[in-house]
Amino acid sequence: MRYRGVVIAALIAGLVVWLGSQEPVGAQAVLQKKSKKANKKEVAETVLHVKDPTPPAAPAQPLPTVVPAPTVKDPAALARLIDAEVDRRLAQAQIRPSPRSDDAEFLRRVYLDLTGVIPTADKARAFLESTDPNKREKLIDELLADPNHGRRMADIWTAKLFPFDSANRFVPKEPFHAWLAEQFNKNTPWNQLVTELITATGTADENPAVIYFLANRTIDRLTDTTTQHFLGVQLQCAQCHNHPFSSWKQIEYWGFAAFYSKVRADNPKNPKQVPDAPAPGVRELPSRSKQKDFFPEATKIVAPTFLGGPEAKVHPTEPYRPVLARWMTAPDNPFFARAMVNRLWAHLFARGLVMPVDDMLEENVPTHPELLDALARHMATVGGFDQKYLLKAICLSQAYQRTSRPLPENKQDETLYSHMRVKVMTPEQLYDSLAQVVGRAAASGAAGKAAKKAAGRLGGQNARAQFVNFFLAGAEQPSITSYEAGIPQALRLMNASLTNNPALVRSLVGSMATPPAVAIERLYLATLSRRPTATELNDLTAYVRMNGDPATAYSDILWALLNSSEFTMVR
Amino acid sequence: MLPGMMKWYSRRDFVRLSAAGVFAPTLSGWLPVLANAAPQGGKGKARACILLWMDGGPSHKDTFDPKPDSKGAGEFKPIATKVPGVYISEHLPKIAQTLDKGVIVRGMTTPEGAHPRAKYYMHTGYREGQGGIIHPSLGAIVSKEIGDPDSPMPNYVAINSRSYGAGFLGPRHQPLLITDPNRGVEDLKAAVSTQQLQRRLGLLERMERAFYREYDADIIRDHHTTYQRAFQLMSSRQAKAFDLSAEPPSSRSRYGSGRFADGVLMARRLVEVGVPFVEVTLGGWDTHQNNFERVKALSAQIDTPIAALITDLQERGLLDTTLVVWMGEFGRTPHINNRGPNPGRDHYPRAWSTVMWGGGIRAGGTVGKTDKEGATVIDRPVTAQDFLATICELLGIDHTRQNETPTGRPIRIVEKANPFTSLIT
Repeated sequence: MRYRGVVIAALIAGLVVWLGSQEPVGAQAVLQKKSKKANKKEVAETVLHVKDPTPPAAPAQPLPTVVPAPTVKDPAALARLIDAEVDRRLAQAQIRPSPRSDDAEFLRRVYLDLTGVIPTADKARAFLESTDPNKREKLIDELLADPNHGRRMADIWTAKLFPFDSANRFVPKEPFHAWLAEQFNKNTPWNQLVTELITATGTADENPAVIYFLANRTIDRLTDTTTQHFLGVQLQCAQCHNHPFSSWKQIEYWGFAAFYSKVRADNPKNPKQVPDAPAPGVRELPSRSKQKDFFPEATKIVAPTFLGGPEAKVHPTEPYRPVLARWMTAPDNPFFARAMVNRLWAHLFARGLVMPVDDMLEENVPTHPELLDALARHMATVGGFDQKYLLKAICLSQAYQRTSRPLPENKQDETLYSHMRVKVMTPEQLYDSLAQVVGRAAASGAAGKAAKKAAGRLGGQNARAQFVNFFLAGAEQPSITSYEAGIPQALRLMNASLTNNPALVRSLVGSMATPPAVAIERLYLATLSRRPTATELNDLTAYVRMNGDPATAYSDILWALLNSSEFTMVR
Repeated sequence: MLPGMMKWYSRRDFVRLSAAGVFAPTLSGWLPVLANAAPQGGKGKARACILLWMDGGPSHKDTFDPKPDSKGAGEFKPIATKVPGVYISEHLPKIAQTLDKGVIVRGMTTPEGAHPRAKYYMHTGYREGQGGIIHPSLGAIVSKEIGDPDSPMPNYVAINSRSYGAGFLGPRHQPLLITDPNRGVEDLKAAVSTQQLQRRLGLLERMERAFYREYDADIIRDHHTTYQRAFQLMSSRQAKAFDLSAEPPSSRSRYGSGRFADGVLMARRLVEVGVPFVEVTLGGWDTHQNNFERVKALSAQIDTPIAALITDLQERGLLDTTLVVWMGEFGRTPHINNRGPNPGRDHYPRAWSTVMWGGGIRAGGTVGKTDKEGATVIDRPVTAQDFLATICELLGIDHTRQNETPTGRPIRIVEKANPFTSLIT
């Protein structure tokens, strides 16, 4: 943000010819197309240069106090820094924080946050019974090393980097997801991972990272996703007009977009229609791409320019993308480390230190500016953009480990982390957690045909994708802060065989001669990862006694547990 | 209190629940939010819209804009309709008899010639991918603008295929998708007896109450609301509209048979119980090859059900308040291609046709006109925006109103439109 203000009025005046034009629609578009084509040649040769950028303007507000970050990689020290800053703000606001979560609450939360799935009943029981004072830290380490961690992070990032789009019908999603999962499991530093993505070349088979380009095949899409997801900046409105309520200008948009102007992405074609299509992949051309449909009608031709910064010193025949990657991931880049910190923070707390998470404008003031600065500086230097390290530090903090039960006096607080926020499971988390309950049942010897059938609905490569699509119901991204599943989704959970399967109960409870208290505890541990409270145990034992047939009673209890908001939420 | 809720509990339980504050926030917190966004009621007559979506792009020259004297005239003969001077394809004889209640829009002209982008364009009025947002489709707009937020029924139902969704208007306006009209709403029937279901709901309610008391989060209330609505739908009488077996055989046979006919019948049943938007899809119109044989077969699939729908709506006094729209994503080339022994026609967005019936339009005519070849619009060109804005006006929706995206960006329902409502009302 240090160079904001560098927008040059003269330049904009020079661009009026194009900036003023609006996209024609309907019949006019058809009529105008011809004359536009004739114009394009002239436009393409007029490259605008930013000359003599004015020096950066002095910041309007005094810089926030600098909070010293640890000088070495030390998750416990980083957690203390987080707590010091969070507690300082709470004290200032005179808000009393909620107490620490109990073991069961922490267990289910950290499992879902880090691996996307609830623990098995056995794992839950073992953790609850353990008296090891370091068991929380050990669990965090165990979960970050679990292959499910990479899958969870890949779920999150695939949804952002691989948009639902009719143009993506034939673009392979699974290899991209697998590539991301592998990177997250290997803990490839974030700067390196992003560099590999945005400079990717080759065929999709040899380098699945290029699928990022195949799934965002036009220059405006690439510009939007890159700035939004890696830099925390929303530029897309500036594509067509100067942003009315932020300071991004259209020229900045096209200056950034220019880094992608030499990309050629050959998409997979429908093999029925184009049997001899080139292998899908990405190349960097020596000059501006001539690819059909790559540039939208509204394209402006501007030299590659760093966002909020100077024009890039890059020779026209040199590849552009590595220059962009070097600038983006440099330790002193004003956006990159902050965006990474803000994302991971939001991933665990369901809100960023800046909101919206991907729109870190000056106007959107961080709740904890000093903390954000310190974390970003630390991660860009000694922290080495190490994501597992930052996740561990946050999970170790008291702020993360607080209960999500609010106190009367902190109930209204939504920004200072006085209590944890209850999140809604993503469709992937819900699927994997249901599969954990149902799938294990099917695997166990006690399972009958019906259990296998129910599990079959949750098995197979496509089943997960289908379930996720069904629960997304057309939304682009799952929302973890609001409950958005609709009637069809509720009907499926209520009435489909998935949750109505007598054999499932037998496999979870064991013999029907099991004492009700033990049986009920097994059902609770398998679904809610906790033991029932005394009241619940009393109530439900009475329910089982009242009901002649224990199997029916347990199936009712299991049905209610799987349909409860506690199951579908991360408390 | 929402109907059906009492069934879950004894009266004593309910009093206790209210005291515990479980229900109070549900009713006071949730309903008013929707009420703010509730129907504004405009001057349009129509209260519901049935969109008959012809997926693939029907050939206008072989359906509603025949050009017998043109170079690519094709094999079909024109026939007279109920409207003097207006001719359509010989394979739509029953529809020809309904055109005194409808209008053929022959001036359609649009810029998108690839299926997915054109479908998006005709459903939303916007170009796909522009500005990084997903625009709401017509059904979601209708759901939001004139749908009843308190109805146990969904306000947007899509039959056979969902096409496009609610976009930035969010999941409340997503269509309820019926993939097979004969199967109705999936999982609508409880897996257990009513008594057992009620016991289960009782258990669930106990859990919800305890969880809400401790965690006190809005999302727990929303979860509760959704389950209530799902349960309401399960027990609502209107949900019978999804069950085609409840239709008397005589009126069912009138619609003919097949997935499309079944979908059209279900659309009538849904409109009858107050659903404001139903989209029924028939695919197969992408006739690059073997155009004439295929269009003839497709015409046979639509002729009976559409004619039955118009007559049926009229007999039930619903035609004036129900707008029926027939459209695809574009037309097809005026010339016949030379792909193999059974040639066809290719994509053609420059000049094509749609049809409207009912909804208070002054019927019996055409809007717009193409040249002798059916290649260029020579009178009253109608853009996608003009067309969508006209539908909005007929439904009493102010199409110049702006909806906000989640990031607070205002987006007009339809942009830069010049509706032709005054020509047809």
